[in-house]
Amino acid sequence: MKLLTVARREYLDRVRKRSFVIGTILGPLLMGGMILVPGLLYEHTPESRLNMAVVDLSRSLSAQFEATLDDTLADGSKMFALRDVPASRSDLEGVKKDLNAEVEAGTLEGYLVCPEDIIEKGAATYYGKKVSNIRTLERIDNALNETIVARRLSLQGLDYGKVREMIKHVRIETVQVTKGGEKESQFEQTYITSFIFIMMLYMTILLWGMAVQRSIIEEKNNRVIEVLLSSLRSFDLMAGKIVGVGAVGLTQYAIWAIFGLGLSFYVLSTGQFSQFVSFNGVTLAFFVLFYLLGFLFYSTLFAGIGAVCNTDQEAQQLQTPIVMCLAFTIIIPMAVMQSPEGTFATVASMIPFFSPILMFMRINILMPPAWQIALSIAILIASIYVAGVLAAKVFRIGILMYGKRPDVREIVKWMRRA
Amino acid sequence: MLEIAHITKRYDGVTAVDSLSLVIEPGAVYGLLGPNGAGKTTTLRMIMGIIEPDEGEVRVFGEPLSERIKDGIGYLPEERGLYRKMKVLDHLVFLGRIKNVPAGTARARARKWLERLELADWADKTVEALSKGMQQKIQFISTVLHEPKLIILDEPFTGLDPINTQVLKDIIEEMQREGRTVVLSTHLMDQVEKLCKKICLINKGRKVLEGALADIKMAYSRNVVTVRFSGDPARLEGHRGVERVRAFGQELSVTLTPGTDTNDILRHALEGGRVERFEIGEMSLHDIFISKVTEEGGEVGDEATHGRQERVS
Repeated sequence: MKLLTVARREYLDRVRKRSFVIGTILGPLLMGGMILVPGLLYEHTPESRLNMAVVDLSRSLSAQFEATLDDTLADGSKMFALRDVPASRSDLEGVKKDLNAEVEAGTLEGYLVCPEDIIEKGAATYYGKKVSNIRTLERIDNALNETIVARRLSLQGLDYGKVREMIKHVRIETVQVTKGGEKESQFEQTYITSFIFIMMLYMTILLWGMAVQRSIIEEKNNRVIEVLLSSLRSFDLMAGKIVGVGAVGLTQYAIWAIFGLGLSFYVLSTGQFSQFVSFNGVTLAFFVLFYLLGFLFYSTLFAGIGAVCNTDQEAQQLQTPIVMCLAFTIIIPMAVMQSPEGTFATVASMIPFFSPILMFMRINILMPPAWQIALSIAILIASIYVAGVLAAKVFRIGILMYGKRPDVREIVKWMRRA
Repeated sequence: MLEIAHITKRYDGVTAVDSLSLVIEPGAVYGLLGPNGAGKTTTLRMIMGIIEPDEGEVRVFGEPLSERIKDGIGYLPEERGLYRKMKVLDHLVFLGRIKNVPAGTARARARKWLERLELADWADKTVEALSKGMQQKIQFISTVLHEPKLIILDEPFTGLDPINTQVLKDIIEEMQREGRTVVLSTHLMDQVEKLCKKICLINKGRKVLEGALADIKMAYSRNVVTVRFSGDPARLEGHRGVERVRAFGQELSVTLTPGTDTNDILRHALEGGRVERFEIGEMSLHDIFISKVTEEGGEVGDEATHGRQERVS
């Protein structure tokens, strides 16, 4: 079959390219990096002890503060070495000057100034070189808060230990009810999993859809097109390209899936991060299905655009609305996430421009009724057919036009022609 | 073999091909000649089904065009194009495959052709590494790789040096000997004179002249004879069928009225003195084309004169 010959050439041509290898390797690394690195940085513990000074003008806190600030380093020793610097309001400026010099020289990480009225006003000031070190500051903040609150409570004659017991945070565990029974789940987990999959869908549909468009423009420019059209129908050419490029996307997924499975076995065995990712066979099956359908729909549109344009620049204008439709689906997932069964989410997941991503997302969050999934897929398939027929007509006429780009009116005229 | 009936193609009000009809018999080299912009390429594209005619019908091998029919045609388009990043042999196999030639057969044939055109060393190089002329030859191989019964060549000699032009001409003659039909389209009319058995001259999308090349030459070449003889020029001037005599040094250029028998003129000259030279002036196809178009009161396409300059240079 000639369609498959075209697809095969397109596929081999792309898979052998260096950019495919690089993209396949770098894609997950980048994505993983985007998700994990900030977390890792945030969790990062300092390697050596931090020298801190406390200038306590109220002269009532430092002992308890030191006891509360009991974070430890990896080796179990104390993370913070606190030095109590006595000062009064009159010589504060002088003391600060000395401490600033120490901070400047790097012998002191930073220092905390607690005013006399800290118990009443509840405000203190931290001086340091690295004031953006969120995790360190958070630790100091927490310890100071606890110290002050405890002091306030004891001033009222209450025992901090008991109060803390009483106001202990109530934890709610979420359990997702699925067909097979109950499944423990967390919002975070669902969100992150959905987000990773949605980003993958979005990026691959966009990437490979536009690859179809670029490939057609390229073929027009190097004039191979005429040789091809003298041997095969324009529909076979267009469809062959779409199938070939789509298969490249699937190959990329397969490679990612193999690495991903390997990684998740490793991750499960170490127990780290597993709380972030949750997926199963059903999710994967729908993922591949919606990738295929979404890719077919969008790449057909892109193929039509490619056929009427002579350069990538020209194509950019025409593709903008389509790219925006696709981008829309990654802007709105929060709304869908919050009420996956709401009217908005239900309607949006039926519209072929959005359904590949939104319906997949809904399935991932909360399995919609089967008829909704079926309807969404049916509408999508029908739209692919209609888009295919129209694109093939535009393709057939546009593909040999080297002159100026036809305007929308002309394109519509082509579509009407038999 | 190939029949075109009243095909017409219009672009934005310009009629590129105007109710053109052709019948091409099997086993000959057929020349479709005319200046640039005459509608040759549009005609060929309609034959190949790349564009649809607005009116008229194309029949190949007695059938309307279909995928199967197309597999029996080899088409070398005027706009040459290959995938630049593909390896030469892989490329040829691909182009063979889309003509339904099995991969193994296509590979074997491609190797044979590369050998013959002295490109065997390039089989595993990418297309972009080849010179223009080499790419041209690759493109030609792809046209005949599926051993088509009908071969359509649009400006096949453009960009080829004299040696390769001759190689290609030899191959075309060989194809014809093998019983294949070759349709040759070119604006360099005189270049293919010796190649074509039948020709069709077209101008501005319309047929100007069609027929066996020999007949056309015959009909148009008796108009002028060059004579050098010892007799009196006036003797010829008064003779029947002579329109005008002009002297160029020792030679006379004798213009005859159409239909005059040159033998009669020769006989008459021999009776008047010693004939040292008697040559029937051969009009080039290009000149025939110009005279035919002007004779009919038509205008020659802008490119016609350009075509001639190219020929001269």
